[in-house]
Amino acid sequence: MLLLSSTVMECWVPTPDSAAPTAGVTADPISSSGQRAPLSRRQKIVSEAMALVRRPERTLPLLVTVVGERVRSSVEHKNLYSYATTYVPTERALPRVINWIMRAQKSDGGIPAYYSLLTGYSNSYPEVTGYIIPTLYDFSRFTGNPEAKYFAERATRWLLPLQLPNGAFPGGLEHDDAQPSIFNTGQILQGLVRAYRETDDADTLLAANSAGNWLAEIQQSDGSWSGPGAYQGVAHTYYSMVAWSLAMLAEVSKTGAHARAAENNLDWVVAHMQPNGWINGINLQGYPTFLHFIAYVIQGVLECGVLRGNRDAINAAARTAWKLLRKFELGKHLLGAYSDSFENGLNFSCLTGNAQMSCVWLRLGEITGDLRYLNAALKMNEMLKELLPVHGRNAGGVAGSHPIWGAYQPMRYISWGCKFFADALMLELRAKRSLEASTCAS
Amino acid sequence: MRVVVLCSSPYSETGCAMAAHLSQSGHAVVGALTLPTLDRGTLLRKVAQWGPRESARYAWTKLAARETSQQRTIRNPYLEKFLSHEGKTLRNLQDAGAAHNFPVFVCRDQNSPAAIAQLRQWAPEAAVFTGGNILRQPLLAIAPLGVLNAHLALLPQIRGMSSPEWSLLCDVPLGVTIHLMDSGIDTGPILLQQKFELVAQRDSLPDLRNCMIATGIELIAKALAGLADGSIRPRPQSDVDRDQQYFVAHDFLKAQARARLKTGTVFSAGKHRE
Repeated sequence: MLLLSSTVMECWVPTPDSAAPTAGVTADPISSSGQRAPLSRRQKIVSEAMALVRRPERTLPLLVTVVGERVRSSVEHKNLYSYATTYVPTERALPRVINWIMRAQKSDGGIPAYYSLLTGYSNSYPEVTGYIIPTLYDFSRFTGNPEAKYFAERATRWLLPLQLPNGAFPGGLEHDDAQPSIFNTGQILQGLVRAYRETDDADTLLAANSAGNWLAEIQQSDGSWSGPGAYQGVAHTYYSMVAWSLAMLAEVSKTGAHARAAENNLDWVVAHMQPNGWINGINLQGYPTFLHFIAYVIQGVLECGVLRGNRDAINAAARTAWKLLRKFELGKHLLGAYSDSFENGLNFSCLTGNAQMSCVWLRLGEITGDLRYLNAALKMNEMLKELLPVHGRNAGGVAGSHPIWGAYQPMRYISWGCKFFADALMLELRAKRSLEASTCAS
Repeated sequence: MRVVVLCSSPYSETGCAMAAHLSQSGHAVVGALTLPTLDRGTLLRKVAQWGPRESARYAWTKLAARETSQQRTIRNPYLEKFLSHEGKTLRNLQDAGAAHNFPVFVCRDQNSPAAIAQLRQWAPEAAVFTGGNILRQPLLAIAPLGVLNAHLALLPQIRGMSSPEWSLLCDVPLGVTIHLMDSGIDTGPILLQQKFELVAQRDSLPDLRNCMIATGIELIAKALAGLADGSIRPRPQSDVDRDQQYFVAHDFLKAQARARLKTGTVFSAGKHRE
């Protein structure tokens, strides 16, 4: 309890349940239908603190991290111009981030959701294991590293037996009594489609088609997903990530139902995106609108819009992305959570959301040719690179929040943070090479 | 015309050159409003921007300039002709003020009540901005003709920071725009524009920027004269989307701009050194 200083406790916000997307990995998973009551905030603090009592050797690393973050947040660069210069080369940071993921992967292929400074590694988490697969394949292709490809194949092999008879994948951590989860199935679908593209494995394609069919079948007539299988039972605009996965699947399955389901959801989400850039319908009841979820909406709409050739969707994504770009450039950072049409929010950094926004900006830079997106992403990546631990168990790990006791996944290094940051770094390198080539050509 | 010059430091070469050139051009410089030599906020920003070693060198340059200014070389060679006065080089605003008979007022914030009161006392017809704070409406409203700024790119295409670099990166012709300042970022009405049409090679971005600054000083004098005789009228910008602007360029993009400058785009305004 001593370690949970008043500052830590003030910021300690319990995370959504495990049926939620990656933000929702906790020690108290419940199904999306709410069959088990979540732990209260107090119970959660006691539970995690007790874990530290059982493993006192974690005390020193925890103290070192918290004190280090406190010192850093007192003296860190306050001026964005400092991020206009590269101090940590991207080529050096990228393998560190991927190595964190590969070190975390268990021998059976599952990847934990997080490493908690209090409780250690979580159980394997099907959702992140699924959508880390494309990142590992990308890294393998980008660097010629065969090891990453092997890790991706192991992750796929671990996932396939988890599929439920109806085609869905379960929410929650491994060994939970989990129910089918729409969002997690969509996220895992990304990995299955990519794994099939890489291996031509018929079983993987079968699993992907089965998951896609389930998602198309249970979609509401308005294009949303709600009811059992949806987090808190209601529709969410960040399920645009599911639409993106279905659009990816449609590219390989050539099934009209998959493409239609993707387009229907895309239209539904775009209708919730306001002219001022704000996004309605994220619908995380009881929790702030973390940047992570805002970025999910943008990323899903953008990528699904690109795959389906939907110009309105791309423009809607660009509108919100530009709004956040201006906030980042003028305010020198993005808030960890926003409210009131981006007018207010919580003053900490959601590092995963930052990395996702970097991905979005880099993709928009590629799509529109506007170098301001690349410029903002480069600065964001510089900031994230400077925050990567260099030594110890979590070298290369991306924390949930900065400072680490912030409201999003406090005291944890999270695997999906590493995934998105690795994606951002690879997109950065691709964009740089492309621009250098065009400069040389001119 | 009665003009006030707003500067970022008493040792600002651009500020000195501007004040001196306006005086030489027949305008009455009635005062210079400047921030202190080594402002604490500026120094902290430099530490964050450049790191401790470069910042220490910056501070030393600033402080040493006061003691060894006779030996100091002019950092921007294009300003030499403006800074020469009766065989001497004007080293700071005090020198320029003594040479051209105008007072210098040092303030911590150009928008402060004291600065505003001083400006009102000088009663300028126009003000010229060469650096300092983000200007607020009370200051912008003091001079009847407004506050003029030399922006180192063509407006409205390239607004904001790192403008020569962005011009190169976006294939927008290099140029300088004289405009009136308003509450937006480089959104005020345009008075004069000049393109850098010729293309030269091997010049660095700092060299390009220096040349543009010198051109901007000359254009400001022309614009003031035009405003005085009515030959120049403020022209509102065609595109006033205030959301659209450029921000400080990352070093990688600056390197790309540098490469583009070397490989093809060149500038000239009759002041090219080669």
